[in-house]
Amino acid sequence: MKKLLALSLVVLMILMSSLALAEGTFRVGMECNYAPFNWTQSEPNDFTVPIEGGQGYADGYDVQIARQIAEGLGKELVIVKTEWDGLPMGVTSGLFDAIIAGMSPTEERKATLDFSDPYYSSDLVVVVRKDSPFASAKSLAELSGANITGQLNTFHYTVIDQIPGVNRLNAMDTFPAMVVALQSGVIDGYVAERPGAEADTKANPDLTYVLFDEGQGFQASQADVSIAVGLQKGSPLTADINQILSGIDHETRIQMMLDATDRQPLNQDE
Amino acid sequence: MPSDFFGWVALILDKYGALFLQGTGYTLLVALTGTVMGFLLGLLVAILRTIPVLPKDPILKRIPVKALSILMSIYIEVFRGTPMIVQAMVIYYGSAQYLKLNMPVVFAAIFIVSINTGAYMAEIIRGGILSVDRGQREAAQAIGMTHWQSMVYVILPQAVRNIMPSIGNEFVVNIKDSSVLNVISFGELFFMSKSAAGTYLRYFEVFFVTACIYLALTFTITRLLRLVEKKMDGKSSYTIMGSQSHSKSMIRITGEEQPYGK
Repeated sequence: MKKLLALSLVVLMILMSSLALAEGTFRVGMECNYAPFNWTQSEPNDFTVPIEGGQGYADGYDVQIARQIAEGLGKELVIVKTEWDGLPMGVTSGLFDAIIAGMSPTEERKATLDFSDPYYSSDLVVVVRKDSPFASAKSLAELSGANITGQLNTFHYTVIDQIPGVNRLNAMDTFPAMVVALQSGVIDGYVAERPGAEADTKANPDLTYVLFDEGQGFQASQADVSIAVGLQKGSPLTADINQILSGIDHETRIQMMLDATDRQPLNQDE
Repeated sequence: MPSDFFGWVALILDKYGALFLQGTGYTLLVALTGTVMGFLLGLLVAILRTIPVLPKDPILKRIPVKALSILMSIYIEVFRGTPMIVQAMVIYYGSAQYLKLNMPVVFAAIFIVSINTGAYMAEIIRGGILSVDRGQREAAQAIGMTHWQSMVYVILPQAVRNIMPSIGNEFVVNIKDSSVLNVISFGELFFMSKSAAGTYLRYFEVFFVTACIYLALTFTITRLLRLVEKKMDGKSSYTIMGSQSHSKSMIRITGEEQPYGK
């Protein structure tokens, strides 16, 4: 009986301590597993933000944008690390205020979420091994017969069918999983956005990415290749966030992305 | 960047060692609390399900007891019949979406493991109760104990001793199954290793370390539980003081015959 009491007290204490969701915080959900947009590292530096729950520190292009938005809103930034599939549910149920996770404002997502103006636009490329016959491809047709995949529940996966004669494999759940699969030969290539491909190939010199010639690449709408902040339907933050984003010009965005690509942990020479 | 397997393991332990330790702490917390609460829940369910109902009992007693028994059966069926990973998603995200209940993740994790373990424990304990000799229940009834008293003072102490191996098994299983809670972003060991693997793109090295940690945990726990079982059994040799014919004699019983299964 005493043990039961002590146990329930412990549970209650844990419950209480985690209920400290303060006002005046800007809670952002992201994967922290998608360099150079967002990643996790174990050591802090001037650019990192601590991840809620003491799970390390987050950095990346998305984190820097989040910091600028939080500053503009006058709130404290809190990063909530969440699985990709849990992000829409997290923002619609109020677990966090916004999704800043390299998410594209596709039509399907617009049914459940509101999106801000885009804060980055990129090209779609295919990451392949340097020593594979596909490394020199310049058009979709040259990837015919390859084993290609993309991340689960992204539009990257849906555009694979545009490659004639492709062998589309089951989607994988994270980018690190796809890098490992590519290096071990399980797949011949995966679809990525150019910054992500830059980051992955810099970290893994045995990989390269196929940059298609003008008009020879994937057909995708402007909404599909840009990324925006995901918000709850009717969120009061949308207008403010759009205003803050309009203050970050194109050159700054490109530079921030390049800096983030340089900073990722895998690039650091120990 | 390191070039060989041991170099990578050293780097990962150096950079992520503290986070692995934190994750291990959360894993143990959830496994321990979940198993204990699941055990208590299972006990409650088992006691409620075995309330005897005789045809001569008033309908006012029979209907609630029957309804309770059906409810318990549904609970056991549902929570044994669905994977814990799916239960975690439904409970955590469902409650946030439809009940507007923002559960702290740690609380949600313990809740999910407890409820899931409770369903399995209810069946294990029912098996334990069945394994106790019928005569025990009859004797308890004969001296006038109520159902609750006979359960708590006579049947359950014996039943629990019999099912200790199963309870230990559940605990070990919970240590490993707590890894499915990474889908609700709970910071246990597997979630931390996914971070490490994702940052350094090293799946084999990271998950090798994780496997070793899990193995160390489960191995230690199994040995500790063996010790607990031995303690519960008491000494294998003991002395009976006095007998009906000779009040001052001492009869020494030695524990040479080992119980089956040790």
